[in-house]
Amino acid sequence: MATSAELIRSMAAGDREAFAHFYDRYASLVYPLILRIVRERADAADVLQEVFWETWQTADAYDAARGTPEAWIVMRARTRAIDRVRSIRRKRETFVMPLDEVTARVTPDSAGDSAERAEDRGVILGALARLPEAQREVIELAYYGGLSQTEIADSIKQPLGTVKTRIRSGLERLRTLIKRPTGLAGWDR
Amino acid sequence: MTHDESFDALAAVYAVGALDGEDRLRFEAHLGEGCATCETALRESGETLAALAREAPRAIPPAHVKEALLRRIAESTAPTPRARPAPSRLRWLAGAAAAVIVVSALTAGYVSARYEARLGQMAREAAAVRERLRQDQASLNEQLALYRDVVDLLRDPASRIVSLQGQGPAPQAAARVVWNDRTGGHIFVNNLEPAPSGKAYELWTIGEGAPRPAGLVAIQPSGTGSQRIAPVPGSTSVKVFAMTLEPAEGSPDPTGPMVLASK
Repeated sequence: MATSAELIRSMAAGDREAFAHFYDRYASLVYPLILRIVRERADAADVLQEVFWETWQTADAYDAARGTPEAWIVMRARTRAIDRVRSIRRKRETFVMPLDEVTARVTPDSAGDSAERAEDRGVILGALARLPEAQREVIELAYYGGLSQTEIADSIKQPLGTVKTRIRSGLERLRTLIKRPTGLAGWDR
Repeated sequence: MTHDESFDALAAVYAVGALDGEDRLRFEAHLGEGCATCETALRESGETLAALAREAPRAIPPAHVKEALLRRIAESTAPTPRARPAPSRLRWLAGAAAAVIVVSALTAGYVSARYEARLGQMAREAAAVRERLRQDQASLNEQLALYRDVVDLLRDPASRIVSLQGQGPAPQAAARVVWNDRTGGHIFVNNLEPAPSGKAYELWTIGEGAPRPAGLVAIQPSGTGSQRIAPVPGSTSVKVFAMTLEPAEGSPDPTGPMVLASK
């Protein structure tokens, strides 16, 4: 089986079949992330299409030295999903969503009983859930809520320096908590 | 700018997409100079966050997305220069050189590409603000010139202020003229309906002889208007100011109803 990096190289050379494989390999990984951020299924499908269209168009710019294909597409998916949320917010002419709304979006306690919410909880119950609450909160507000450090400081009423420190400590702890499943590692090399 | 500890926190905040303001400018400048420590930190954070996504249960996306993508790709330009003929040695060298350039350009452009869209939007907003400022400034300059002119007039002991009262069809209207027989003056009107279409308000100065036309005065929807009045050539002294409703192009002699007059 071709590695993902090989697939991307083939995509850069115009290989549509490689793209189809690449899509099959990662669409089910990034779709839940996009859905979690944008919430609406129709929006999530749009963003998903946009993200993979970009991978097709920019495959020749992929640089393995910067990260694995997985990190490449996850970062793109997160960025585009946040862009979508912000543009929806702008269309509603409220430039910044009320902070408690964002907080509610990323707080597991607000989740209902649907299967979808249970999936969300699945994420929370993973590595993130093992972070101290203060660190988990700032990372979720930033990564899933799209808030900037200043907005987070306003939202949780803490000094900016505290927000930075919590994000840094949280990320460091996440890094040690997460161990890559060996079965998947081969795909990314 | 060499790496110091403060950049570790900035790199973490940048990795979760939350760096803003001065911090972002500072960090991106630092990255632009090529900091291996920060590049490693960003790469590791990227992998960590990707692993977070991998922890979540997978979900099958709607099938139409893949179909749409494959259709879009098939419709987009046929695989253009990508399917190249076998390159000669020279072309291979040129290609390799180009690749080196592309890679370094990518490194340098990494940061800018990531925020390209946002920068574009900011540029558009900035242009809009500049245009608004330009218009505001033009209108302020106009007002300033008017005020300066009036202040100069008022400094002159020969100037006087004349009140005009509303007449017949406009009893609530009022106006003041700051007047100097030698240099002319200004009229300020309040509480007057704008002239109906096809009509205009015309000002008259009355001295010894017949009323002389002193210009048309535009009235805004707010009911106010102001106008510079030229001095009356060779005249002794203006005794009365009056305003009438006339045809839009004005009239050499008053013909319409009088709306304002001084005593």
